Amino acid sequence: MRNRIVLIITAVLLGTAGHAQKVDIFGYFEPQYNGMYFDDEYIQLQSNKLRVDLKSTAIANTEFGADVIFLLYHGKTDWNVLDFLSESITSTIPQEMRPYYEIAFSDTLYLDNVYVRFALNNFAVTVGKQQLSLGTGYFANPTDIFNTKDAFDPTYEQPGHNAMRADFQPSPRLNFMALYTPVEFDLENSGKLIRAKLGLGHFDLSLLGSETQYTTTDFYTFEQSQELRRIVGGDIVGELLGMGVWAEGIYNFFENREDGYEFLVGTDYTFESGLYAMLEYHHNSAAKSDTDDYDLNDWMRFLSGETKTVSSDQVYGLIQYPMTDMLIIGGSVVLSVSDKSAAIIPIIQYSLFQNIELTLMGNIYIGEQGTAYSNSLGNGGFLRASVYF
Amino acid sequence: MNNCISRLSFIFSFSILMAATFSPGLLHAQEEMTADQILETLTETMNPEQAHGIMTMTIVTSSGQERTFKYETFSKEKGEKSLMKYLEPQRVKGQTILMLNDANDIWTYFPRTKRVRKLATHAKKQKVEGSDFSYEDMGASNAFIEEYDAVRLKDENKEGRPCYKIELTRKPKSNASYSRAMLWVDKEKFVPLVVDYYHEDDPQLKEKQLVCKDIQLIDSIHTPMQCTMYNKLDNTYTSMNIVEITYQVDLTDDLFTEMGMQK
Repeated sequence: MRNRIVLIITAVLLGTAGHAQKVDIFGYFEPQYNGMYFDDEYIQLQSNKLRVDLKSTAIANTEFGADVIFLLYHGKTDWNVLDFLSESITSTIPQEMRPYYEIAFSDTLYLDNVYVRFALNNFAVTVGKQQLSLGTGYFANPTDIFNTKDAFDPTYEQPGHNAMRADFQPSPRLNFMALYTPVEFDLENSGKLIRAKLGLGHFDLSLLGSETQYTTTDFYTFEQSQELRRIVGGDIVGELLGMGVWAEGIYNFFENREDGYEFLVGTDYTFESGLYAMLEYHHNSAAKSDTDDYDLNDWMRFLSGETKTVSSDQVYGLIQYPMTDMLIIGGSVVLSVSDKSAAIIPIIQYSLFQNIELTLMGNIYIGEQGTAYSNSLGNGGFLRASVYF
Repeated sequence: MNNCISRLSFIFSFSILMAATFSPGLLHAQEEMTADQILETLTETMNPEQAHGIMTMTIVTSSGQERTFKYETFSKEKGEKSLMKYLEPQRVKGQTILMLNDANDIWTYFPRTKRVRKLATHAKKQKVEGSDFSYEDMGASNAFIEEYDAVRLKDENKEGRPCYKIELTRKPKSNASYSRAMLWVDKEKFVPLVVDYYHEDDPQLKEKQLVCKDIQLIDSIHTPMQCTMYNKLDNTYTSMNIVEITYQVDLTDDLFTEMGMQK
């Protein structure tokens, strides 16, 4: 069924290609070289990513959009998660179970987004696989139940999600959003989310509530369980004493286990020199605060995206400085307050040509074995070229 | 990263003095105008009620490297609301900046992540896509009146045209990024031909210079088709050119909203 929908939308997109001036074909090619020192060994992994977007506005008030991603990997493509975890955790795993923790980076080709959006005045409906972004945080978004950000590269694009979305804006600073994320054809188990967003002076304020099915995996037995998850939450962004400020939080009501909460607060400022500085604090009650308590499930649920953090309290700092019109240098630090470990991420961005951007990013872990940013996770970085067309 | 619009509206909307100003009587009256009156007249007339245009911005670094951006702009209520959408290059295509309340509220939209981000006013100090224009430079069209005290100096010729010369000094409680500015305004067309901006901490240090050229009468409004900002400290410059512009449009309020950014 899903493939049929994709075919239909693609056919419509291609069908509108006759109106050449109203169909855009664009995207980027992104080779990336990753290198790291791990266990006294230098390891390389290269990837080549091609994203091709199609967008058509040939029909009035209607936009068809789709993108396809091709990903090719070279180098060390087979990894075992257990190699990165402390011995106190891995020693409990029977030898015959080790292959279950292997991860392989395989060449892939997939439809990332494919949607149709109808917008008329102050009302819009979007149906299909689409990007969903919620929240005001930079490093993490507690209200975003669809995505998990990479702490090292938090602004990188997120994958599409199957959803039906309606936006209604009765006045310029007030809008409502309703979201339905279908699970098969089961209305009861499908996700529902509503959000109201209001502008108050120099502040934007959102309130939201959602109901979804939450999947938990036991990574010792690989059994999965599902339960109802309801959340209420919101976010706010504005300015205080000349500094940018924002906050975001949710309270989780679970069907079968203890309720929990997650929040983030942040601030930023741009100095006269152009230096930009940002600081965020993130707390996740579902994560643990003592290194000795981390178990295999904590790590695997974090790596698989089931939970957002390994440790409960984290501080994120970012600075950026435009050295020249073409060169930005900076870096970020993620500090796990709970277990006193940190990751330092130096970043250099250079505009090589009009449509070619280079990004050099490092990662240096500072922490004892078993901590969230343990130095045994391996230090390294990547060089990425983004070539837009 | 990151974001953009609005003192450009100062310059590009700073465009206006109608044909009426050519009358000899009014020219005589202009001779008697004080600095405040000149600025008030400019502010009254420089921002058309609505505007829609396409512009290019070319950044030239000290080593001669060039980057050119093309974008579509919309403004309403004499520049109080403005929206800027990048058309080229592909790297930034679709990125949109919305500024309301004379650029005191700024939102940016990134189509690649479908994310809208609200920026605090300090972001106005950031360069627009690495150019020599900051968001503040492109920002509020009435900033010269609100943020600075004005004194009229002896008239001078600039760029071959007779000009009013006005010295602007930052008001004590202002957060403006420049300590001082010197403004040469074409006496006939009331278009700024040259603006010198002085460093925030050193009123004697010239930081930037804006030069506007090729003034054309469009929809009865004098419009500088090219403005170049020279960064005297970095030895770089950024040139902004109007590709097309019209002031006879009827833009709806829906355009200047979060949903409007995504259209």
